[in-house]
Amino acid sequence: MELVSLLKSVAVFEGLSDAELERVARLCREARYRKGDVITAQGEPGHELFVVCDGMVEVNIGAGGAARSVVNLGTGQVVGEMALVDGGPRSATVRCVADTLVYVIERDAFERLCDADHQIGLVVYRNLAADLSFKLRHEHLTRR
Amino acid sequence: MVYKISIVIPGTDHGGAIINTSEMPKVGDRLKVGDLEVEVVEVMDLMPPRGDFHFMHATCKLVEPKGSG
Repeated sequence: MELVSLLKSVAVFEGLSDAELERVARLCREARYRKGDVITAQGEPGHELFVVCDGMVEVNIGAGGAARSVVNLGTGQVVGEMALVDGGPRSATVRCVADTLVYVIERDAFERLCDADHQIGLVVYRNLAADLSFKLRHEHLTRR
Repeated sequence: MVYKISIVIPGTDHGGAIINTSEMPKVGDRLKVGDLEVEVVEVMDLMPPRGDFHFMHATCKLVEPKGSG
């Protein structure tokens, strides 16, 4: 599938025009992982956003026997957005539970794009806030 | 339309899942969550729709693999 069409199915990019999506697509680097591979490790520095384009990943918090799975994320979801927003270390370990294709967006390159085009920054950061809200609501519902 | 669905499986220690589908989930549908198959028992809107996206929540139960038990 053409990358722009694929990005249209990702809520984080909702509201961007085709031309704006083209500019985002130019930042994307494809990466393929095998089932069991770790994409991010909790506590490590993080400088990228990952868009899951095929497959599924599991988000784990904690280490060793205290580790727990908090959510699985499938096609169209993003991981690494907290590091993109706040620049802090990875908040979770993300492991592939199936062979997975992701597109990687480097934080510095994305921030340069947002500086150059504030409309893209406004739309994507608003959507990232909504995505974090959605995940928080999901977390609340798992505790009902 | 894209339906972004929060899937929760009560009674398990599974953290559930967030997936996109092109069809609105309805009670009785079966969905794949990694290696698991689940059946939808309740659906509700989680957030107002935005553009082509609907934001839904589905409470599900595990579908026991055939031959188990």
